[in-house]
Amino acid sequence: MISRRARPVGASALPGIGTSRPAARRRNFVAGVLLVPGLLALFFLLLLPLANVVVESFRPYVPGKIGGLVDASFTLSNYAALLHPVYLDYLNTMIWCASLATLGGLVMGYPVAYAIARTKSHLFRMCLIALLVGLLFLSALIRVYSLELSFGTVGLGRTLSGLMGVSSNSRTYAEFLVVIGLMHHSIPLAALLITATIQNINPRLVEAAQALGAPLWRGHMSITLPLSMPGILSAFLVCYTTNLSAFVVPMILGKGKIQFLSNLAYDRYAELANFPSGSAIAVQLLAVAVIVTYGIGWLLRRRFGEGIH
Amino acid sequence: MKRLVDDFWKSAVLACLLLTLAFLIGPLIVAISMSFDARGYLAPFPPTSLSLRWYASFFANEAFISGLWNSLILGFSATLVSAIIGTMAALVITNYDFRGKAVLSALFLSPLMIPAVVIGLALLVFFSRAGIFNGFFRLFCAHVIVTLPFTVRAALASLTGIKRSLVEAAMSLGANERQAFWHVTFPIAKPGIFAGCIFAFAYSLDDVAASLFLYDTRSITLPVALVGHMRANFDLSVAAATTFLAFITVLLIVVLDRLIGLNRIVGRGLYR
Repeated sequence: MISRRARPVGASALPGIGTSRPAARRRNFVAGVLLVPGLLALFFLLLLPLANVVVESFRPYVPGKIGGLVDASFTLSNYAALLHPVYLDYLNTMIWCASLATLGGLVMGYPVAYAIARTKSHLFRMCLIALLVGLLFLSALIRVYSLELSFGTVGLGRTLSGLMGVSSNSRTYAEFLVVIGLMHHSIPLAALLITATIQNINPRLVEAAQALGAPLWRGHMSITLPLSMPGILSAFLVCYTTNLSAFVVPMILGKGKIQFLSNLAYDRYAELANFPSGSAIAVQLLAVAVIVTYGIGWLLRRRFGEGIH
Repeated sequence: MKRLVDDFWKSAVLACLLLTLAFLIGPLIVAISMSFDARGYLAPFPPTSLSLRWYASFFANEAFISGLWNSLILGFSATLVSAIIGTMAALVITNYDFRGKAVLSALFLSPLMIPAVVIGLALLVFFSRAGIFNGFFRLFCAHVIVTLPFTVRAALASLTGIKRSLVEAAMSLGANERQAFWHVTFPIAKPGIFAGCIFAFAYSLDDVAASLFLYDTRSITLPVALVGHMRANFDLSVAAATTFLAFITVLLIVVLDRLIGLNRIVGRGLYR
């Protein structure tokens, strides 16, 4: 299907190469061979399993059986259970934590991005980039463990929770830990994405504003910030999707008090072996990811132009 | 007055920057120094005396060591296969013109957007129905799929950067498509593709969400073993693992810098 429509790219530029019939057919054959493994992998390991999950989520649950009942008629009960106030509360907490962490990541990442883009020292720039890339590569487990050591009960936990006026065992403090856990990943991610945009803003613009009498903060707020909006928004999209589908951070730092949809889906499988309900949660999680990536992405692109990826 | 306001703004931004860096680095320093703690229980920072006991307990833990091997084998094999499949697909996407091309490349990049838990659960249900219960095979399949976006994206980026005229020059000098690929295209694209492999390997080495659904007792990976340990008893042998994994991260960064230069990750920019 694909190979038949394919046509050699350099044909017009180079007469004699890739224009003859057998050569074109051979090229199409090669394209087919090159694509087959990838398409097979995507079909059998992604599309088919995902379709299967959607079907599974409509099946009735039978305790003690792996997978839902196959012969029974389809049911909406797995989804109806998700409308229970307890679930809505989980969903609410997840969106709140992810939003807060994304916002924090953008606000704290921006000065770092600015420093990388504008510093005159090559060494400082390279150190910062290496640090940020290293932090992105860093295992989520290290992140979670280090934060628990530093901000948990053996670290600053008592002091900080005291300042916040809650117990270090409270739900609020668990929420705080989850948010900073997500931020520890969002900050380097946002900073690296925003740096590329700031580098393309002419520093003379702020200098001109200053020469005309604007204070520095005003120059940045009315020039640098609006011009870096495309970078900020694409960073927002990437961070928000990552945070909403976080798994390890809420599992360890949330200590069972904070559960994201991904944790709920896992618990359905691990503790109850309830595949239909787990599938329904997974479908919901997938819907959230698709809405954020394509829906919000589409809205932002329409509002701010095509510069957002 | 304006000078004063500007100075205040500059120091405020600088303070914010330092605070952020402290927040990013501080916890890691705490964890690494705690891993040398001589006390036998989890006690407040800083350590009062130093020892290597937690390293000994990390390396004496059967689950961690076999998990480390499993993770490395899995990471290498999944990255290799994903890089081959991904580069092959990227070659078609960059060199051919056909309808549905945008959809195809979006499809190859889509696993990045799908939460890993969803992929793990989907594969678990699928493999159970298909009667496949070999843990290593299931993990391998999952890791190939989740690393595919990294290798495809890197291959796409490095292949599109190659001027078509180079290939045409080789072919006008008598090379066929295959020779032009192996002698011109691939050598130029290689560093970029390898950089994609580094990202894929790091991702595979760290994956918990998909792996938790698919491992069996013989194919348990290091992150899965660590999560289990962290949930059961939160002690300092994980801190020793932290130092070890941080070392691997530094190693990957150095390799990445040698391959493509870290500067290229953020690009050069117009005013730089």
